[in-house]
Amino acid sequence: MKQAIVLAAGEGQRLRPFTVTRPKAMLSIADKPILQYVVESLAQNGIRNIVFVVGYRKEQVYDYMGSGEQFGVDITYVTQEAQLGTAHALSQVREEAEDEFLVLAGDNLIEAGTITDFVQIKPEAVLVKRVDNPVRYGVVSIDRGEVKDIVEKPAEAGSNLVNTGVYAFTKDIFKFAEAVLDIPDALNNMIAEGHNISALETDGTWLDVVYPWDILNLNDIVLQRMEASVGGTIEAGVSLKGQVAVGEDTVVRSGTYLYGPVVIGSGCEIGPNVCIMPATSIGDNVVISPFTEIKNSVIGNDVTIGPGCIIEDSVIDKGCVIKARFTACAGESEVRVNGEIPLVNVGAMMGEDCNVDNNVVVQPGVIIGNYCQIQMRKMISGRLPDRSLVY
Amino acid sequence: MCGIVGYIGKKKAQPILLNCLGKLEYRGYDSCGIAISASGIEVHKDAVRVRVLGEALSVLDGTVGIGHTRWATHGEPSKVNAHPHCDCTGRIAVVHNGVINNFYKLREQLADEGHTLASQTDTEVIPHLIEKYYDGDFVKAVELAVREIEGSYTMIALMADESKIVAARKDSPLIIGIGDRENYIASDVPALLDYTSRVIYLEDGDIAVVSADNVDVKKDGSSVDREEHKILWSVEDAQKAGYEHFMLKEIHEQPKVIRDTLAEYISAAEPAADLTVGDGGLEDMLILACGTSYHASLVGKYIIEGLVKIPVRVELASEFNYSGQASTRSRAIVITQSGETYDALMSVKRLKEEGCQVIVITNVVGSTVSRIADQTVYTRAGPEISVAATKTFVAQLIALYWLALPYSRVDIRRLDDLVMELRQLPVKVQQVLDNEAIIADYARQLAKFENMFYMGKGINYPVALEGALKLKEISYIHAEGYAAGELKHGPFALLGSKTPVVAVVTQDNTYESVITTIKQVKARQSPLLALVGEEDETIIQLADSVITVPQIDPLFSPVVNSVVLQLLAYYVAKRRGCPIDFPRHLAKTVTVE
Repeated sequence: MKQAIVLAAGEGQRLRPFTVTRPKAMLSIADKPILQYVVESLAQNGIRNIVFVVGYRKEQVYDYMGSGEQFGVDITYVTQEAQLGTAHALSQVREEAEDEFLVLAGDNLIEAGTITDFVQIKPEAVLVKRVDNPVRYGVVSIDRGEVKDIVEKPAEAGSNLVNTGVYAFTKDIFKFAEAVLDIPDALNNMIAEGHNISALETDGTWLDVVYPWDILNLNDIVLQRMEASVGGTIEAGVSLKGQVAVGEDTVVRSGTYLYGPVVIGSGCEIGPNVCIMPATSIGDNVVISPFTEIKNSVIGNDVTIGPGCIIEDSVIDKGCVIKARFTACAGESEVRVNGEIPLVNVGAMMGEDCNVDNNVVVQPGVIIGNYCQIQMRKMISGRLPDRSLVY
Repeated sequence: MCGIVGYIGKKKAQPILLNCLGKLEYRGYDSCGIAISASGIEVHKDAVRVRVLGEALSVLDGTVGIGHTRWATHGEPSKVNAHPHCDCTGRIAVVHNGVINNFYKLREQLADEGHTLASQTDTEVIPHLIEKYYDGDFVKAVELAVREIEGSYTMIALMADESKIVAARKDSPLIIGIGDRENYIASDVPALLDYTSRVIYLEDGDIAVVSADNVDVKKDGSSVDREEHKILWSVEDAQKAGYEHFMLKEIHEQPKVIRDTLAEYISAAEPAADLTVGDGGLEDMLILACGTSYHASLVGKYIIEGLVKIPVRVELASEFNYSGQASTRSRAIVITQSGETYDALMSVKRLKEEGCQVIVITNVVGSTVSRIADQTVYTRAGPEISVAATKTFVAQLIALYWLALPYSRVDIRRLDDLVMELRQLPVKVQQVLDNEAIIADYARQLAKFENMFYMGKGINYPVALEGALKLKEISYIHAEGYAAGELKHGPFALLGSKTPVVAVVTQDNTYESVITTIKQVKARQSPLLALVGEEDETIIQLADSVITVPQIDPLFSPVVNSVVLQLLAYYVAKRRGCPIDFPRHLAKTVTVE
């Protein structure tokens, strides 16, 4: 297998506000978009010819991935104008596809080992994985290594093997893909016509993001495997524990405690006297002022956080300016997302370019939209739509 | 203004030369050609783009060759005027970038001596001069030939049956790329990125003798050492990566360019340059530049006057060179993207002669201007391929902010806020890009007009000038930028329903005055498109259409407003079907006067 087709056109509506300006595949986990993990896994398995199907906010993919040179791969782009489904996305690359190729979802985080065996397989084939909660996914029934059928989000799962969205195909797939909208339907039709589709099970990493707080789980898992690397300037009197990565041109000032796994991007100013606790990712060009504690959180690029803040179990998107004594702590709460109300234990989910004045406290599970402005000493709960003004 | 390349090594020269020339088309593309030495010299040239020339050729065998892509100065674009040019015997071929001032005299002399010159170009005298002086030593003949030439003569010469090529540099840039038992020569770095990252920058008056495994640089007859540099730009920068045009790709790179540039400036322990005021220090400043860099300089005037509180004078380098006066007490800043622009180079030389301290802001490490200035501030924009400058303009603005901030005489709270807002710029610019579709819609409406005005006041006056420049250079619509208060002194006579006006409105002390002008413009029926900070009811009532730009301190508003106007120009040009990356009659780096 020499070619991979990566589907990166999808929006991820349940992940708003984080997907208002970027496709789901460009969500940042441990300072890298999910898509980059997919590309790096392919490159490590020797697959360097990559076709991206892009659509929703495709410029974000162009701007970050470019022509693939810095990732050691060769990327070409195909646009899916309307995001109708995975089979429809696949149909857009009929011209570009080679005789045999892999298909992967750009918004599922995988590692190189996940597909090492699968890249050798003879098409048509599906990569499956055993999960605890199969009803969220397409459940695959298998008989002697052959797929019998795939049932999307069944009420009751017959097995806990699910479809990872990683496939090996020949050009035969296009005839079936063009007749339906999603790839599992195309496979079911192929099986009905007597084609054999093999299944290979992996126990490698395969992670999906469905809700905003899933970003925290993925971030935690990926950071566990991160290697330490310290660039920039670390002043005397900074404590580094565990695995800590700090980017170029970043200054970490005296009295700061970095308790890994922690990743900090480039061009940041951290401290003095800041406490960054485990499972925290901080983007590029971020300022964190004295006496602030951040734990198990993801902070985007260009964020400024004032003095004396406590931020736990939270996602703060790029460009937010948070003044002094902001508090966001976790607690159990019910959060309404697209009509579902799951019970979760998280802090704040804050969209991009929000302006938060001094002494604001947010309740657990709060979702703050993009470009919101919150005046001083407010208590926020529930969900704020984009461009809200709280005063 | 042209691009020249050379190759000597083991591989077939033709595909390498054509590829390198393709990367240099931003320097000119009205005609092109290559000469390959195999058994004798074979020349192929025409008044076509590089790709067309390449398609018309079968593969030639030689592993030594030179190539040229042209921006016409002497003689119209045609096959006979295209380079390379040869001598009478057809054994010597030359490609040249520059202007030979005494070429009429040389041409007559050579004709009297029996040489036959076929073209109207100044370049053709060079191969004939080399022929004249050739007595068995190719290198010596080139050395003697260039002594006769007055003007700029950066060139590469190729001779049949020689295992070397000879390059000379005067006033236009030339670099040598070092390979593994092969060497390259080119006008600029992007041409070589596919092959090597090791380069030598030649200096004025250098003559380089380049063979497959050796480079010997001579000056005034004796060998000199020229340091080898490592290029940090990557091939990625020269690819379109999904976008239809380099210009749009480069517009989209701006948030990253700002972030990278800021990271570097902020982390540096020392300020970029010394602008200490008073007590024998700085009293005033002079900024010189051309084209888009001139507009950045004008913004720089408002930045430095507003923060450092000293008078700043901005002049066009091309005008200053003829009549301007500089005081030795003033500090001068010269801004040039390429670091090779002829007029900017001349003004740096002149300022130095008059004893001024010169700071240059440039995007090209190792460029000529950086070697003669007292201090160099580099913008980290990476190579810009599109002829219309976008990201390098914004990077120049960031450099100016960063030059001025450490010396600002504003109160500490204001300074803290400014530094914080500066860090927000990447996100604000990204928001403009995220709303590209709205700008594209307005552009479609504007594309049908043939005349347009841009207006702004205060720090956004230069933004209006730059917006108009972008529009005219890529969409060919006649556009003029004006200070809002000046429209009534003449241009009002041109307004009307067929002449739209783009107004840049800033929420600062200019606001009321600009509103007044907008009312006057509307009274003359011109369609009006306004750029405003978020939520402005007054403007929404007055203007025909409104583009809301993200809110930011007025000091930084030129950055976001410029990005809006870049996108507007791009989509107007796209709608009109213009060749956006290669507008007619234009070249990126103008190394001639």
